[in-house]
Amino acid sequence: MSNNALIQTIDLHKTYVTETIETPALRGVDFELHEGEFTAVAGPSGSGKSTLLHLMGGLDRPTEGDILLEGTAMSSLSKDQLAKLRLTHIGFVFQAYNLIPVLTVLENTAFVLELQGVVRSERIARAKKILGELGIAEYADQFPSRISGGEQQRVAVARAVVAEPSIVLADEPTANLDTAMSLELIALMRRLNEGKGATFFFATHDSRLLDRVNRLITLVDGRITADESR
Amino acid sequence: MKAAIRHMMRNRRRTILTLLAVLIPVYFLVMMFGFVNSMMQDMFESSTRFDTGHMQIRAEETRATGSAMPLMRNTEDALAALASVDGIEWSTVRLDLPALASVGDRTRTVYVRGVVPEEIEPVSNMADRVVDGEFLTSSSRGVVVGEELAELLELQVGDEMVLLGVHPEASLGALRVPILGIFSAPEATMGRTMVLASLGTARQLARSETAATSIVIRVDGVTGPWDTTLLDRATTALRAALPLGYEVEDWLELVPFVSGYLRILTPMMLIMAIIFFALGALVVVNTLYLSVMERTREIGLIISLGASRARVMGMVLAEAGIITLAGAFYGALVGVGLVLIVEAFGGIPLWGQMADYMREVGISPVLHMSIRWTQVLLAAGAMAGVAILAAWLPAWKASKLEPVEAMRYVE
Repeated sequence: MSNNALIQTIDLHKTYVTETIETPALRGVDFELHEGEFTAVAGPSGSGKSTLLHLMGGLDRPTEGDILLEGTAMSSLSKDQLAKLRLTHIGFVFQAYNLIPVLTVLENTAFVLELQGVVRSERIARAKKILGELGIAEYADQFPSRISGGEQQRVAVARAVVAEPSIVLADEPTANLDTAMSLELIALMRRLNEGKGATFFFATHDSRLLDRVNRLITLVDGRITADESR
Repeated sequence: MKAAIRHMMRNRRRTILTLLAVLIPVYFLVMMFGFVNSMMQDMFESSTRFDTGHMQIRAEETRATGSAMPLMRNTEDALAALASVDGIEWSTVRLDLPALASVGDRTRTVYVRGVVPEEIEPVSNMADRVVDGEFLTSSSRGVVVGEELAELLELQVGDEMVLLGVHPEASLGALRVPILGIFSAPEATMGRTMVLASLGTARQLARSETAATSIVIRVDGVTGPWDTTLLDRATTALRAALPLGYEVEDWLELVPFVSGYLRILTPMMLIMAIIFFALGALVVVNTLYLSVMERTREIGLIISLGASRARVMGMVLAEAGIITLAGAFYGALVGVGLVLIVEAFGGIPLWGQMADYMREVGISPVLHMSIRWTQVLLAAGAMAGVAILAAWLPAWKASKLEPVEAMRYVE
């Protein structure tokens, strides 16, 4: 591993096994990500993008290989240790069903801080600050069902970055948004990357997003076929 | 906690169902406790005030001799021993004799109970049960009979009857006595067989000036069937103080059918409580499982964000805890409220065969209710505890969800 790699995948394999069928999703993926990168992994449906993201986020375990996050081998961690790693090092933005419906925008944003044990006054202050920075402070007291899909994704981004994780993993964040909302969300994430140095890693095939990344990894049939800087 | 409350508000129907699953068993248990308490208290009062006292000193082997109680020819030493025991509220000497009662050509087997009327009046309800005529005094030579016996012998106040004492240890004695009063016995058998007389009259019938069959005793602080500690202490002390030739029995030993009821009631109530609790717990498990299933994706998201398994379990248990505690509280509230309402209206009168049966076994045919706070807390606490234990299973299942699979879950 190079000295400043934030995350490194080592010969990553993942095979889904059912009673009769074995489906390989990843077949030996090796790459490194560095702090401050704004990287996407692209590829056709079924190429293994989401699987790669889940493994990098510690939501699933590889069949073979390992992932090092800031030097820590994820394979050596128990479920609870993985949960703690996710809580302290990783921010997530999912394609859909991103927010907890019974919590307000402010409470959703502050939720990760609450899990981390941050005192109430501080987590409210930090959540309000990030909502303000992302231009959605006015929705703080709204429940997710009362705001649009684009606004919900912005709240999800706010929640992903509020605890200042090492990396934000986003799985098809613009898939359910129209063009205007997608562009707005991409600009917002880019701003966080450039302004705060937040590291983003996307799984996407949205060309509008792919145009804005500074590194693009292409995945086909579970293997990296291209890795280009822009 | 806030999220748990909002979840409950979002699924109001299910929340209400879970609440009722806890509320109804608690309510039923409180009501059941209320009826049973009152019934047992009624049996205790009937027995101890009219018949047995809290305990009695008798001649040894009284129990073995059947219907005729052995005579104590002199009670001085027993009374002296009784005076040395602490915590005795009251005592009186009594003589029970088997006898034949004849009016014209009608004869019945009875037993004559000789009492000191002035002594029994402050603590006994015998005098209050006189429905016609008057109660005894020490100087009166007449008797008071039960309504049932009066009907069988066609007796009225002022009539006379002949009593023939037939105690195996006493000489035959015969007396012609007037009927001073007619009483309502707490149970029908007693009403058919008991003839109340002054101790002097009974002793005349036994042809002995000092004979007695029991010393009836009340113990300080014993107010109900569950006050067994004070009673046991006094019984033990009295047994130790008495000379040879006497035995001491408490009211439960003297009235075996009541102690039988008490013995049956506790396991019966326990079985009913278990059934109520099991049904309540099943509903709680079922509704919480549904809740967890419906929120599979949400729980998956929460786990993805880094919540520990313990935290996820805590979230489900918090929801279960709020509902069950609220259910237990309102169940207790409704139960206690109904107990108070029933008592405010003077109880629930029974009718028909049920009322007759209750009278027959010496229980008031009006159902009263009384409840103790410890029983309310027991019913509510036990149900809440069982429900929260039942919630453990869905909570554990939620905590074991795999985040990726949970987030893919489609309802």
